[in-house]
Amino acid sequence: MTQTPLDELGPVDYVVVEFPAGESNFDGEMAKELLALSDAGTIRVIDILILTKDADGSIEAMELSDIENLGPLQQLEAELAELLAEEDVAHLAAAMDPGSTAGVLIWENLWAAPFASAARRAGGQLIADGRIPIQAILASIQADDNETTQGE
Amino acid sequence: MPLRAARVGRVGVIGHPVAKTAVVAKAVSPGPSPVAKTAVVAAAVTPGRGRRRRI
Repeated sequence: MTQTPLDELGPVDYVVVEFPAGESNFDGEMAKELLALSDAGTIRVIDILILTKDADGSIEAMELSDIENLGPLQQLEAELAELLAEEDVAHLAAAMDPGSTAGVLIWENLWAAPFASAARRAGGQLIADGRIPIQAILASIQADDNETTQGE
Repeated sequence: MPLRAARVGRVGVIGHPVAKTAVVAKAVSPGPSPVAKTAVVAAAVTPGRGRRRRI
């Protein structure tokens, strides 16, 4: 793995994508899109785990390398940094429903790194960040629309 | 299958149990008017839409 100086590290995010029992349909599209983001230099994939939660709530974690026939993901697997620790598995799996499988993806936002570095050099400190759920955007628009309708 | 030894005994980075978020994809895709919902969100984040700001 290429070493990245701490000052040049972009923001690191994670997602847990759950696949309820019987609803997964892996046809390679996810891998293709992930590789495209990586190849384009938009993100750097730091870690990937596959979690399963049994009906009784017990959790099993698989490394990407445990999967046979990784295909194009093989190139990503060789670069993973194994950032997640064993204790993270239980924390992440807390969001999962029993009987489901989930992919955990950790990545660095390479696209944001130059701006983040510049902000740090300018003396800026990150004091808040987050993600706005689409539901919140919809609710906001709906509230505006309702107000407009009532005002007519 | 067991995790790699390098993951065991280390301090984690997540820090706390993760709460399940609303299922975003399902909120946008199914339902009576999925295309309309997607279009509304897309319009809301399009530059120049000029929503009123109330501070």
